[in-house]
Amino acid sequence: MSAVIEIEGLRKTFHSLRSGRRVAVDGFDLLVEAGQVHGFLGPNGSGKTTTLRALLGLVRADSGRMTVLGEPSPELLPRVAAQVGAIVESPQFFGNFTGHRTLRLLARAGGVPVSRVDEVLDLVGLHDRGDDRVKAYSLGMKQRLAVASALLKDPRLLILDEPANGLDPAGIREMRDLMRSLAANGVTVLVSSHILGEIQLICDHVTIISRGRRVAAGPVDEVLAGYDRHEYLVRVAEPERAVELLHAADLPAAVDGEALVVSGVSDPTMVSRVLGEQGLWVGELTPLRPDLESVFLELTGAYEHPSVPRQVDDSSLPHDEAVIDLDRGVGA
Amino acid sequence: MNLVRAELERLCARRFVQLMVVLLVFAFAITAATTLAGSHKPTVSELNSARQQAVEARRSMETTHQECLARQKERSPADTSEYFADCANLDPIRQDRLPIAADFLPGVFSFAEQAESLLYFLIAFLVLFGFLVGASYIGADLNSGGVVNLLLWRPRRLTVLAAKLGTLLGSMLVLSLLASVAYLATFWVIGQSAGLPGRLDDDFWSSLGAVHGRGLVLVLLASAVGFAIATLGRHTSAALGAVAAYAVVWELGGRLVLEIIDVRRSDQLMLSSYIGAWLSGESRFFDPRLCAGTSGTGYCSGLYSLTWAPALLVLVVLTGGLTVAAFAVFRRRDLV
Repeated sequence: MSAVIEIEGLRKTFHSLRSGRRVAVDGFDLLVEAGQVHGFLGPNGSGKTTTLRALLGLVRADSGRMTVLGEPSPELLPRVAAQVGAIVESPQFFGNFTGHRTLRLLARAGGVPVSRVDEVLDLVGLHDRGDDRVKAYSLGMKQRLAVASALLKDPRLLILDEPANGLDPAGIREMRDLMRSLAANGVTVLVSSHILGEIQLICDHVTIISRGRRVAAGPVDEVLAGYDRHEYLVRVAEPERAVELLHAADLPAAVDGEALVVSGVSDPTMVSRVLGEQGLWVGELTPLRPDLESVFLELTGAYEHPSVPRQVDDSSLPHDEAVIDLDRGVGA
Repeated sequence: MNLVRAELERLCARRFVQLMVVLLVFAFAITAATTLAGSHKPTVSELNSARQQAVEARRSMETTHQECLARQKERSPADTSEYFADCANLDPIRQDRLPIAADFLPGVFSFAEQAESLLYFLIAFLVLFGFLVGASYIGADLNSGGVVNLLLWRPRRLTVLAAKLGTLLGSMLVLSLLASVAYLATFWVIGQSAGLPGRLDDDFWSSLGAVHGRGLVLVLLASAVGFAIATLGRHTSAALGAVAAYAVVWELGGRLVLEIIDVRRSDQLMLSSYIGAWLSGESRFFDPRLCAGTSGTGYCSGLYSLTWAPALLVLVVLTGGLTVAAFAVFRRRDLV
């Protein structure tokens, strides 16, 4: 598959008189290939939006190489801009303009047929509210309008920064369906979000950033598999006795409430057999698969101080050897 | 072209622009209405009386001049008092204007006499309009993320900024032309129907045209300055603050300090002097320090002047410098 977005060694430092020098992105790499729905995850302040802004030419990178649809960005970004739809953070629109007028002005500025405006308003569920002023829109409706603005160009590449911000559950589901349908029609989607469950549901690939560096990248299933400890939740009548029996069979186990958790299980029938042979019948045997949230929190260090409020810059610094890149190999 | 059309629609749709246009129309209507209400068509006897008074006033000026010349002939060579200083200043021929009948027609609007001052009022409003609209047009867009939205569509910063500036200047030029034509035409009609048209000869029209042309240039320069400062400061308020700070710190405070430390020709260091000189063609300033070395050697008026050419140069360099700086900064700025 051809690369739609390539970022290598992106570095961006912000300077200010008040807070001095702050490294926002520190040698970050990203690869998005054609047809992917690629999740871009990271804690607040980890550098996600700065990366997207640099990619789209809104901030100047200190160093690094970026390409969008094969063209170096930001130098030759104008060549492919007509094929890239993007929203970065929550775009602000003039409150006094209607949604329809807002999109019409953008369409006119970008040389897109104005007839496309009604299509995208329909697509994001704003067809009946297109003639309302934007200031009367809810946060979710403004977000839909932002997505509509990104879709106006009928893009080959869609970059969405927190598209689910402010959406209600039904809106989140509609956004998910929309992205799936776009992907099915060959649109490559790069989506950053804090709603990890959503990313897991809609993305086939993921890149996780922490403190400006990539800490994980690759197909979602494989990233999750890298953190699978092969744990099972077991419910039996006598958990303490069961733990002793499992230890004796070289299966590490620990009581967890009214159940127990067994680790390093390559074959779950072993658990049933060890306990059954001693007359302890298993009532429940559930695999504990890692989800994206647990992997994300582990990779970004958000579990380290459970009793202390975590600050935005408290995410962990990745170590090179810890970086998971399933496209390029561990430690790449 | 599409970008300019879109920008034009955005500019026209802005509430602030619409409000300023309403204010312009309102001020225009109030001025026209009060002029119309306070003027009447002079009767034949009023006209005859006014003509007579004008003739007498001119005759009086001539008499004063002749008396001065006579005194000058009679004075002794040693007498250098200012009373005999320079009769040329009293010469009617050297006056900017001589009394005319319209000067003696109270309550009668004369278009020829008042068109220029009315035009100055309109230009002052349009300069303020241009500056505020120029500043808010880009300032609000930078602040609200509108520019970022636009750059996601057209990732050519200089093109986008130039389109905005070009749209602003083009719109201001068209609006100023339309407003001034409508404004002058209205007062011309008032002069014809409820006052006096006055002497509308070639000199009048060329003089009014020159003021009008210089006024339009000033409106465009003010618009560009507002736009440039707001771009540099990222906010509309940056432009307003910069102008307020300049006025207070330099035009008021600086002027006071320059007076205290006896700087010669201090008015030459004030931007307002150049604006006045450009608009009127020439501004004269009085500075008694200029006469410090001439005491006893002859008459010294203490006057010096600024003409429109150096004034235009200063205004263009200032506006050009700010605009170039705005484009240079915008080209490299991080839009966060």
